[in-house]
Amino acid sequence: MTESGHQSVLALTPRTPALPGVALAVLLHAAVFGAAIYLPMLFDRAPPLRKPIIAHMVALGKPRDPQLLPRRQAPAPSPVASAPPKAPGKAPAQPAQKHAPTRQELMQRALAHAMGKATAEPKEEPDPERAGSPTGSAAGTAQSAEEGEAYYTAVHDAIMENYAVPSVISERERLYLAAVVVAWIGPSGQIIKHEFEKKSGNAFFDQALELAIQRTKLPPPPPDLARSLRDTGVVLNFRP
Amino acid sequence: MMILLALLLAADRPVIDLSGGRVQAYPLAMARPLGAQETSVSVQSVLAQDFERSGLFKLLDPASFLAPPTEGLTNINYARWQAVGAQGLVKLSCDAPGAEIKCDMRLYDVAHGQELLHGTYQGPSPSMRQLAHRFADDVVRFFTHEPAIFQTRIAFVRETETGKQIVVSDWDGANPQPLTGASINLLPAWTPDGRTIAFTSFRDGAGAHIYTVDVASRKIGPLVLMGDLAAGATYAPDGLRFLYSASVEDNTDIYISQTDGPIGRRLTDARGIDVSASWSADGKRIAFVSERAGSPQIYTMSADGTDVRRLTFQGNFNQEPAWSPKGDLIAFSGRDEHRAFDLYTVAIDGGKVTRLTQNQGTNEKPAWAPNGRYILFSSTRGGKRQLWVMQPDGSNPRQVTSEHLGASDPAWGPLPPPK
Repeated sequence: MTESGHQSVLALTPRTPALPGVALAVLLHAAVFGAAIYLPMLFDRAPPLRKPIIAHMVALGKPRDPQLLPRRQAPAPSPVASAPPKAPGKAPAQPAQKHAPTRQELMQRALAHAMGKATAEPKEEPDPERAGSPTGSAAGTAQSAEEGEAYYTAVHDAIMENYAVPSVISERERLYLAAVVVAWIGPSGQIIKHEFEKKSGNAFFDQALELAIQRTKLPPPPPDLARSLRDTGVVLNFRP
Repeated sequence: MMILLALLLAADRPVIDLSGGRVQAYPLAMARPLGAQETSVSVQSVLAQDFERSGLFKLLDPASFLAPPTEGLTNINYARWQAVGAQGLVKLSCDAPGAEIKCDMRLYDVAHGQELLHGTYQGPSPSMRQLAHRFADDVVRFFTHEPAIFQTRIAFVRETETGKQIVVSDWDGANPQPLTGASINLLPAWTPDGRTIAFTSFRDGAGAHIYTVDVASRKIGPLVLMGDLAAGATYAPDGLRFLYSASVEDNTDIYISQTDGPIGRRLTDARGIDVSASWSADGKRIAFVSERAGSPQIYTMSADGTDVRRLTFQGNFNQEPAWSPKGDLIAFSGRDEHRAFDLYTVAIDGGKVTRLTQNQGTNEKPAWAPNGRYILFSSTRGGKRQLWVMQPDGSNPRQVTSEHLGASDPAWGPLPPPK
């Protein structure tokens, strides 16, 4: 009798070894968890420098003799800031304070002048003793400028316009307050959402930051930043 | 994988640093007072004045309020107060049965819709202003965690037809009480317990000497009767020592004496005058004016007279130093190139000089509030020399006195003892 060429169906078939598959799965999981743990450490370094442009116009004036006592740059408050104390009665209303132009407004005015679209604005006599450079601008605000990324300048300036620290927080406490907010910015410039990554610990300061963010109106981000600002957001480090 | 992606995205977030936000007064609404109207309105008026002068609050215009005048002390409709921009809300109700006043005063946080402070303040009718000052103190202490000054008193020199007299009043100039007659009396200085004021007087007709007056009894007694000129006493924070200037053999120097000791010890020994001593808050150093370098400048030295350091180098006539209670600044008056006297501060560390007043008459004699939040000074900005108060950066100047012939030489009394 010759050996049959058929194999019984009950015979054991050689199986693919399980160990390599399990090992591969373990390795893959380990790689994912390892990456989750260690990759952030690799990226846990100072984020790329994206400083806002701080463009100052150098003030028109002459250098002040360092031997002389300093002068104030802003005009002094009105000498009749309040009436003397009177018998109990209605408290006197305070005169409206003149709005000091922001840096953004000064820049807009300067651009409008350059484009010949300037509207007439009230002329103010420059302070002849104002410190500055002989080649500076009468509307100058400082003596130096730095370079950076323009859109972040707009974000910085727009928030700063609304960023007010409540005066009821003592100077001592202001030294230590800090809060971190992440804000996500939509394509039209609206702040889609924001959340505190770290609260300051002072409810009045945090409330002021909430108000500042709610009141801020941003221009649309440039196309190259729009997606990351929408998906990733921007970190706002607040200090008083 | 989603976690990993989120972490990677977060790591790539740009960071914008925002610091130097403008300091803004806290918008505070004071609701129409309830209870006995005449008393409640009077208390509210004093309270409003305290809040305004503090520079901490912006009082909202009652004409803009949306809440009904009938809204009670509780059951606040916060949305209506929020709609007019209020972040804080003060409500009070006073009753004046007989010779007593009793006020229920409350502070609310409009944004969070909760009561922050609630107190019942009562006292005899003449203490109406004090009740308001007490609540103002409590409100400021609640926010700043620092003592407030609304219950403090000030001393100053009142000009009269026949001379100058020492006067004490509330911090806001109310309730002025003369302590001396009207010979020439100058340079008041409080003891740390607030019970006594030292002053310089020509009352004995033998030159200028230093006397004390008990604030309660107005009893006057001699303190330093040395030579022809002894002036400008100032007490150490411990109340056990005091400094003054005295002229001996044509040289004016600073002396130190024990309050219970008869003879002073000379601390300075330079050519030219050394005057206007002011203690640091810890009592370890002394600021003073010296002409030793040819022009009056601000110097500091140790309390034993050693380790003399010049602090000001700008200007050629700097005087009247006043060391801040927080210890970081010395306020002084200086004459600028226009020969105008104005107020400045100089930082103890680094010597940076900051101007506080400018183009507003003559401004002199800075005196710090005991909590370091305000500077009292004399100014001619309104015509006659009067006392004004401002914040240490020169902002929010407010007139304090309205003396017929003028007021000068302010000295701010100590904080009331804690209760």
